[in-house]
Order: sequence, then C-alpha cells, then structure tokens
Amino acid sequence: MSPDLLFQSVLTGLTNGFVYGLIGLGIASIFRGTRIINAMQGDFALIGGITAVLLLERQGWPMLPAFVAAVLIGGAAGWLLEVLLVRPLRRRGGTEDSYLLLTLGCAFAVSALVLYFVGRDSHALPGIGGEGIVVIADAAMRIHALWLIAISLAVMLTLRLFYSRTSLGLSMMAAALDPQGALTTGINVPLMRTLTFALGGLVGGLAGILVGPLITVYFDMGLLLTLKGFAAAILGGLANPMGAIVGGVTLGLLESIAIVTISSGYKDVIAMVILIIIMIVMPNGLLGRRTRKGG
Amino acid sequence: MKQSLRRRMFLPLLLLPLFAGIPACEQADDQPVKVGAVLSLTGPGAGLGGPERNGILLAQKLINERGGINGRPLEVIIEDDGSKADIAKSKAEGLIHGENVVALLGPSLTASTGAAASVTNRIGMPQLCMTGLGPEIELSYKSLFHMLPPQSLNARAMLEYLSKGLNARQLGVLYDSGYGQLVMTHIENHAGDYGINIVAAEKFEVGATDVSTQAAKVRAAKPEVVGIIATSPVPFRNARQMRITQPIVSAVGSSSYEYVKGMGEFADDIVFPEFIVSEDPLPHQKEFVDLFVKEYGTLPKTYDAAGWDATHVIAQALSEVGPDAGSEAIAEAIRANRYRGVIASFNFAAPDMTGIELESYTYSKLVDGNYTRLPFTAK
Repeated sequence: MSPDLLFQSVLTGLTNGFVYGLIGLGIASIFRGTRIINAMQGDFALIGGITAVLLLERQGWPMLPAFVAAVLIGGAAGWLLEVLLVRPLRRRGGTEDSYLLLTLGCAFAVSALVLYFVGRDSHALPGIGGEGIVVIADAAMRIHALWLIAISLAVMLTLRLFYSRTSLGLSMMAAALDPQGALTTGINVPLMRTLTFALGGLVGGLAGILVGPLITVYFDMGLLLTLKGFAAAILGGLANPMGAIVGGVTLGLLESIAIVTISSGYKDVIAMVILIIIMIVMPNGLLGRRTRKGG
Repeated sequence: MKQSLRRRMFLPLLLLPLFAGIPACEQADDQPVKVGAVLSLTGPGAGLGGPERNGILLAQKLINERGGINGRPLEVIIEDDGSKADIAKSKAEGLIHGENVVALLGPSLTASTGAAASVTNRIGMPQLCMTGLGPEIELSYKSLFHMLPPQSLNARAMLEYLSKGLNARQLGVLYDSGYGQLVMTHIENHAGDYGINIVAAEKFEVGATDVSTQAAKVRAAKPEVVGIIATSPVPFRNARQMRITQPIVSAVGSSSYEYVKGMGEFADDIVFPEFIVSEDPLPHQKEFVDLFVKEYGTLPKTYDAAGWDATHVIAQALSEVGPDAGSEAIAEAIRANRYRGVIASFNFAAPDMTGIELESYTYSKLVDGNYTRLPFTAK
C-alpha cells in the first residue's frame, strides 16, 4: 500500500466521517433536549435535500435561497413532528420504545412519500465549489467536502455555545433533564421540546444540502444516513453534539483505513468490531465524561 | 304449520344456485382473465419494479385495445413485495388463492423470485420472472421462465467488449454486494477465457453512500479499463471524482435513466452491454418505444421492456390454449413458443429458461449524459 493511497483513505474517511457526524449531531441534539432517540434524523436530511432539488430543478430558484429554504423546511418538519405526533404520544404516556417506533415509522412514511410524489430518481445537488477538487500529494478531495467539514465544525461549536451560554439553550437543557423543576421556574417545557425538534430538523435539513452533492439525493437515503449517524452519536456519547462529530470521524476513518489495509469486503466488520471494543472500554462513548458533566 | 313455513323459506334458497348459475355462465365470456404480478415497487428494488410495472400496464392496455385474450379483457393485478422475499411469497399466495390468477409475473429480485417460485412450482403455475437464472434449484422448476439473461451471460457480454472492443487486458472492478456480486462471480470465472487479468476488485455494500476509498484503490492498481457493476450512481460518480480517467464498462442492470441523472456531469464515457437504446431503437423495438413515450413521456429501458415482454408472452400463450386450459397447458405453450420480444428472442425451453443469446446484446455509450448506440456486436 502506497503512502498516497493511505493519505487518500484518510481524506475520504474524514469526508465520510463528517457526513456521519452531521447526522449524529442532529440525533444528539434531539436526544439532549428531549431524551428521545430520533430514528428519522436521516429523513430530515432527505426532506432538506429533496426540497433543494425541487426548488433548484423545478422552480429554478438560485442556489442560496433554495438551500436556505431547504434548511428551514427541515426545521419545520422537526417542529411538525413534535407538535403533531410526539406531543400527543407524550400525553398518552409514551415510552422510549414508542418514541423510537414513532420516529422509525415516520422515516418510512417520508421515504414512501418522496418515492410517490418525486419518484425514484437520484438527484445530484450542486456542491459548494461545484465539482472542483483539490489535489494534495496525489490524493483528491472535493472542495465541497472541505466546506462540509468547515460548516459541520461551525455548527458543532455554535450548538456548544448555544447550550452553554444562551438562556434559551440552558432552558432547553433544563426542560430535558428535569421537566418538573423547569416548570416550577417558569420554563415552558412543551415549547422547549418543540424547539429542540425544530433545531434537530434544521441540522437535518442542513445535512441534506451538504450531503446531497456527495451522495446524491434519493428517496431511501434517510435510513442509511440515520444508521451511520446513530453509530456516530453513540460512539461519541449520545447527548454530546461534539461527541457525534468525533464519533463520526472515528467511524469514517476506521472504515476507510480498513478498506485500504485489509479488504473492502470486511470494511464494516472491522469498523464495527473496533467500535464494540471502544464501547466496552468506554461505555459512555468517547466524550462520555463531558456528557455527565452536562457540557 | 311450522314445517311448511320453513319449507317456504328454504325453497328459494335451495333454488338460488340454479338461477345464480345462469348469469355466471353468461358472464364467463366477458370476465377478465386475471394475471398476477408481484413486483418490487418500494424498497431497494424499486428501481426495477417501477419500470416493470410501466411495461406491464402499457402491454395490458395495448392487448386489451386489440381484443384482449380471445375477446376477454386481460387484467393484471399488481402487488408490491417491498423488495422482500417473504412478502413476495405471501403476495404470490394471495394472488393465486385469493384472486385465482392463471399466471404470475415477477418478482423483480432474485431472492423474491425463488420465494414466489416455491409457491408456483407446487401447482405448476406459469411464472415469468423479471430476473435472470438464479440459484441452481431454479433449473428444477418447470413452470418458471426468465425474462432476463443469466448473470453469466451478462458477465460474458461485458468481457466481450473489454477484450474485443477495447483490446484491454488489465481490468479493475468496483462492484456492489448484491447485483454486482452476482455478475462479478461470473466475470472471475470467464475472465481467463478472454485473456483478461483482474488487477483490482473492490466490493462495497448495496446502497453505500460513498465508495471513494474503493475507487482510489482500483485507480492505484492502474487498470486499462474499469468495470463498475452496481445498482446506484454513486460508484460512477466516485470513480470519476477519484480521477479514474480510464473507460468504464458496466452491466445491463446498471443502465437506467435515473442512475444517469444521479451521475450528473460524470455520465460520460461509460459503456453498457444492454438490450435497448431508446434514442435509437432497432426496428422491432420501435413500436414499444413510441407507445411508451406517448404513454409516459419518457424513454424506456430494459426493465420497462421486460414487463412489456412478459405480459405479451403470457397473453400469447393464453390466447393459444385458452385461459381456462390449466397451468400445465399454459406453461407448455410458453415453452413451445419462440417469442420475438423487445429485449431479445426468447426460447423458454432452453436450459437457462430464457434462451437469450449473446448476439441479442446491444452496446451503448454515455456521451455527455446521453445514450448512443455503439457499432459493436458480441459473437
């Protein structure tokens, strides 16, 4: 194996890792604010991505407004999910299992709706920087992938500051950790939960327009993304958005290096075995301690 | 008194079947001839099942416009198996025992075909599946017919072009763990016969969102030509993004307009051994292409044609022996016929239960996102 190939695998692993991390970021955000594992986070990305496709291809919108609208529609989808489905379920005493099933069902429904109304075509979204690549030591990386990494890091840091420095972020945290206590201090707990889902939807919508140019947008991309994002979030420490990015990058690099050092056929086996070992040694995830401290 | 009342009440009921029988017999001549279809309309196989449904519905419409099956309308009842073999089996059972269909079309995927065939084989019902020959056990199913060639033939069609069209000797392959694996097994078996050396073979899971690392590994092996066998546009994009500049040769299952759309600007210099180039149809394909464009406003590809051909094959057999002739007679009629379809000339009595020959392949090349026919013929 040449050093160039190894370097290429690192660049590819980083790109994939941030894709997983961005989905994991949304899962972690919603879990942090509601203690619900959202199985349709990848489908928020599908909603964002397909909205951008429709606005660009069918409505002829310019790229920037289309992308902004796609992110907002993702947020609206999160808001609607909480108001129309999660909240009524909570009133009826929903458990962790029922929330998981609810969001899983919604994921299938979104996928089926996109298949029915938009079709089964794969759509290549335009990337930031077009299809341009940068070549470093005979290894190639798309300019868009660099943007994806930069934006993911920016979102992660923004969320970190939001949760630790703003009264809204602290209220959302309080509503999740101790709903009764939060209510007594005057925090509107149902509103905080709704905002948490809307935030998760926004992150998902953003993931859709950032991931779409790399993997194309198609009707059943949601669950595939959710699975990888979920692995990233668990690996990093489920309630820690920074952990999701760290977990995603770890997973992406493990997969990529397994391909070039051993065999592409055993990529998932090798990556998952290492993940299991990490989880046994660090059951709270890579950044689990930070989670327990609430940061 | 009570007894007399009972008699009066039950007498009409006893006579009812006699009267009911009259209209039933009269209706029999214009009752639709029911054929079932189990297709993958959702799930990972939706890219196959959707086009197959289009072909079936178009054929049904045309057959009925031209008089149906001996004057009776043809009704194809389509069920979705969700790309799952267990659902395919239960849907087939529902169509056979619930709807009393006389034959089955589909399923779209190899595993589902086997599951449904275990039902049709028990009662000898004709089943025209949209797959090539699958596991060896299918050879023992006497009423199962394939609308697509076996994967060994697809592999040989690729190797023909690699060795004779491109004079290539060093091959690198990117293939997925589903369809790609099936074709790749046969490429490995036959590559030596064509003097081709496989210098890199990289596998990825079906539905993978990125295969850049595998593409980089294939590039590093410096092949003369790269084969990509997958049911997704992702590997084609990633190959070009990883600066694989060599010609790409793919397989029939990877040729679809939706994948080309997903390839975006990378849909260039990719060759497919396939069966229909709708932009430039062969004379025997023209009617189908024209009708398809009129009906759906889009150009058809292989799987649309498979649905069309399957419906015509069963309609022809039913017209010959009559829809009430029984499963064995209908299956025998299918075996006895030589059907000139849109895809190819079929001989269902052949050992591979389809009879498609290498000469039936046509070669297309994507140039700036458009299919163009190549003058190459496999022999």
